[in-house]
Amino acid sequence: MTGQLPRLRMVDVKKRFGATEALRGVSFEVAAGTVHALIGENGAGKSTLMKILSGVHRPDHGTMELAGGPFSPSNPLDARRAGIAMIYQELNLAPHLSVEENILLGQEPSAFGWIRSRRRGEIARAALAEIGHEDMPLERPVNRLTIAEQQLVEVARALTQRPKVLVMDEPTSSLTQVDMENLFRVIQDLRKKGVSIVYISHFLEECKRAADRYTVLRDGETVDSGEMASADLNSIIHRMVGREMEEIYPRGEHQIGEPVLELRQLAGETKPRSVDMTLRRGEILGVAGLVGAGRTETLRVCFGLDRLCSGKVVVLSRESSAASPARRLAQGMGLLSENRKEEGLLLNRSIADNLTLTRFQPMCRWGVIREKAQRQAAQVWMHQLDVRAESPAQSMRELSGGNQQKVALGRLLHHEADILLLDEPTRGIDVGSKAQIYHLMGRLATQGKAIVFVSSYLPELLGVCDTIAVMCRGKLADVRPVGEWTEHAIIKAAVGQVGAEKANH
Amino acid sequence: MHSRLSDLFLVGLLVLGLCGCQPSDEDSVTTDIAVVPKGTTHEFWKSIHAGALKAREELTNAGHDVEITWEGPLKEDDREGQIQVVENFTTREFDGIVLAPLDSKALVRPVEAAVKSGIPVVIVDSALESETPVSFVATDNYKGGRVAGEHLGELLGGKGDVILLRYQVGSASTEKREKGFMDVMKESYPGINILSADQYAGATRETAYQNAESLINRYGDEVEGVFCPCEPVTVAMTKALRDFELAGGQVKVVGFDASDQSVTDLKKGDVQALVVQDPVRMGRLGVKTLFKHLKGKRVRERIDTGVTLVTQENMDEPDVKKLLNPPLEQYLQ
Amino acid sequence: MPANQTMQSNPIQRLVRWRGIRARTILDMVGPFFGLLLVIALFSIDPAIRESFLSGGNMKLILTQAAVVATSALGMTMIIVSGGIDLSVGSVIALTSVVTAKLLVGGYSATTAVVVTALTGGMVGLVNGTIIAGFRMMPFIVTLGMMGIARGAAKWLANNQAVYAPDSAVNQLMAKGSVNQFFPLPIGVWVMVILAAVMSVVMTRTVFGRHLFAIGSNEATARLCGIRVQPYKVVIYSAAGLFFGLSGLMQFSRLTMGDPTVAKGLELDVIAAVVIGGASLGGGTGSILGSIIGALIMAVLRNGASQMGWGNYTQEIIIGGVIILAVGLDKLRHPKKE
Repeated sequence: MTGQLPRLRMVDVKKRFGATEALRGVSFEVAAGTVHALIGENGAGKSTLMKILSGVHRPDHGTMELAGGPFSPSNPLDARRAGIAMIYQELNLAPHLSVEENILLGQEPSAFGWIRSRRRGEIARAALAEIGHEDMPLERPVNRLTIAEQQLVEVARALTQRPKVLVMDEPTSSLTQVDMENLFRVIQDLRKKGVSIVYISHFLEECKRAADRYTVLRDGETVDSGEMASADLNSIIHRMVGREMEEIYPRGEHQIGEPVLELRQLAGETKPRSVDMTLRRGEILGVAGLVGAGRTETLRVCFGLDRLCSGKVVVLSRESSAASPARRLAQGMGLLSENRKEEGLLLNRSIADNLTLTRFQPMCRWGVIREKAQRQAAQVWMHQLDVRAESPAQSMRELSGGNQQKVALGRLLHHEADILLLDEPTRGIDVGSKAQIYHLMGRLATQGKAIVFVSSYLPELLGVCDTIAVMCRGKLADVRPVGEWTEHAIIKAAVGQVGAEKANH
Repeated sequence: MHSRLSDLFLVGLLVLGLCGCQPSDEDSVTTDIAVVPKGTTHEFWKSIHAGALKAREELTNAGHDVEITWEGPLKEDDREGQIQVVENFTTREFDGIVLAPLDSKALVRPVEAAVKSGIPVVIVDSALESETPVSFVATDNYKGGRVAGEHLGELLGGKGDVILLRYQVGSASTEKREKGFMDVMKESYPGINILSADQYAGATRETAYQNAESLINRYGDEVEGVFCPCEPVTVAMTKALRDFELAGGQVKVVGFDASDQSVTDLKKGDVQALVVQDPVRMGRLGVKTLFKHLKGKRVRERIDTGVTLVTQENMDEPDVKKLLNPPLEQYLQ
Repeated sequence: MPANQTMQSNPIQRLVRWRGIRARTILDMVGPFFGLLLVIALFSIDPAIRESFLSGGNMKLILTQAAVVATSALGMTMIIVSGGIDLSVGSVIALTSVVTAKLLVGGYSATTAVVVTALTGGMVGLVNGTIIAGFRMMPFIVTLGMMGIARGAAKWLANNQAVYAPDSAVNQLMAKGSVNQFFPLPIGVWVMVILAAVMSVVMTRTVFGRHLFAIGSNEATARLCGIRVQPYKVVIYSAAGLFFGLSGLMQFSRLTMGDPTVAKGLELDVIAAVVIGGASLGGGTGSILGSIIGALIMAVLRNGASQMGWGNYTQEIIIGGVIILAVGLDKLRHPKKE
């Protein structure tokens, strides 16, 4: 297979939007039947590059070749016809339509406008078979599938186009470890079948596992490229960030004190079923588990966003079981939602408003907000959290994911919350921002704040937490100090019972 | 939403009708007459109602048993609503319908359907473009417009600048008045200059007022006479003229129809004359003509109920007083 | 800077990036006025009407004509910014104008009439807000229902006809006084201007205002941040109802009678004013100043078109066009990341 023409080649591609140079010269090649990882921080130009590849934007400069011929798509359909298939970070499925309908969406086999239903089933099943999931029920609406299954539907849909190049943008961002393994298997299968894959991710460990070669982008330029097998992750990080990163995870002594938040057999409407958990001052308590294990729901019930059905919540040694979010905030608790865009940020409001939303009092005089004071307060947090933006008045929408997340976190700091419930705080943000958030958490714990840290990414849990709790099927499976956990042990605790029950079916 | 509501309404009426009509069919002495106005908001329609009830009283006194059912569309400009009302009465098998059509064309089909199923229809107030109705009992609006024009021309001594603020697009009766007025101006008063005759007052009193204000703001310095083809326009225009301190005879106003407000304005001298119809007579003759037809007698195809020019001088005469303030309480509770 | 990269610039932004000042802020400030000046300029072209159109008296006329819509737009801006909608405005205006007339006919004092009228509007809003918040129902549906209920109640109360009221101080609310000069303006116009100023501060500079924007921008986030969303909605619709009641009072004063058929379809004018003023029906954006200017733009267009001798249909077409144009321009000013 080697020695042939590259399947995809981009040479010195440049693109500018107004005053901003999004791409300043990107080159890379993908050979047939290989997986090529595209690595870079958010804002490095990966998205723009993908948009050029998929025909959304046209490059200002440079050449592209696909399977040896020139390639310059003028629109997404053009690119698709030429053989580029995209799988985006946010799933692009019609939630109420069935698996089969989704797989064939936009390319229904038809005769004179009539959909040929027999043929449809065949095509859909063949596509699923190709990724080893021919057992998926074709008629089930996709909103009743798990996220991982939905993603497989997307992959199957991409495959029905017989793509020459398959582009996967952050495909694992909402998957658990087990689902991820499954996806990697699919990727290996596809590679063996000769499909070329461009794999975009923040997770270097993943790239290392999935990819044959890599290209690092920084500030719109190709800065590094090479064989994945022989690459050193630290040097790749160094290339990505453009500065030394001595330590991704903070190392500091946490003075663990008295309990500040205790959950006693906490149960919500469906999840969690029964959770006992104790959070102490100065502690970072990690919560691991599969997607759907009830981690998010535990935080939501605790914070008063979902209904508490039974059990107790004890805050600062005082029972306060059923409470509204307003009451929790007043108790000095703060929650960072896993889905910052849908629940967590006001995208069309300013950074300053987003930062100070829960606590305007210090900047009020006679009930009127002093905008100067608000700006100053925002500026302080933006500086402390290294939020990169033009001014506090800038709209949230214009910030990158990492900066948005820092603002969302900054709101808890501005609120002076002592108990921080953080749900996937590092999801979908770049490595640089991640490290900053880890260090921030470390500092906060040192200051005596208590943090619950829910995450699906085990290395960060192991790297940051003092204690790790593992949830499984709505219940707390195990709690142990971090030193007693390994990745393997966590996964076992998270899936052990699932595996056992599956065997019974 | 609306049509669903009216459907529900229709079903309700049907049920009521079925229950209510069954027994009355048996003695067959009672004559059931439905009267369908354009709306129920304006006093004008109350007068027609009073006239219809007056006719019933007269017929009862003569030994006939007549029942009047009074029902208009839910909204004043709701053609569809009025069509449904007519259709309902048709299915309820009334003996006859007296109708003031909201639209000269839209109501043709339901009226013809009624006639076809043996229910004669008398049209009042506004014309219907159909041959099937028994008779058309109404003010001759064209003539009314001419009367107004003649009077305004006389008031101005045959020369000056005049504004016509029209009512609404598609309103047949006011269009005739406007045409009558314009024809007189053209034929008899070549010395009178029409400043504006292309503006419409629009659907509500507020739009009428706004348009009157804009017109007076534009032409306030020149205008000497105004014709308003109906009551809301007359009131709105008088109000605008008062705002601009042009009322009280500086600008001569000839209006159409009477209301408490416009009669007060007439008394004060802000309005010089009102062309007044006789809606009580219209309602009365409408019902009586229909009844005559039902008894197999010949009726005239066109009955003019006439107009009266009311000015400060004659407004206290008993006949005119009765026109301006019809004794409605006598008939309506 | 990464922040720059993710931000898409467009021709207008590029055009106005001037001396390092974010020219968009300037555009934001001048933008709404620009539209108003443009329509005024449009009608000033024709020398035949220029003088009468630009006269102080006519400007007063336009302000007076716009007052009813503008006052309602104050309440509607609150509602739309918070992500809701109220279709019952027109009917509430009719209802409250009848209430005023009935009270005056019943011999109550002008003060009583004013207070009770405003409260009637507030009560209708309270009912709207309570149903919307209490049953988590769509504002569109609830207020659509209320549109019929209030209109029906107005007709019932007025016995299906216009209610003539005796002369009272309420009639002075919208009385224009001298028509040749700009001053004195009717009291109602001053009331509208003062309320607009107060509301502008409330919307932009108070915690209540920020919370309003937060709810409209993202209700889930607002809840997460401890804002009691449902009680807020009750307050918003009730407060807006007070403004609608006040509009009803002004409507009464203009006609010096209570007319149950008045203000039919006015809800669309009010919504259009708010949207022309830069609000998004999705919630989270909008401003009081913008809405007032939106109301003025429409009043100028009606007045000008009427003075030009253009038919009513022309006005309707132009106003329709302006709505689309205004929202289109707004899209250019505030590009959204896809």
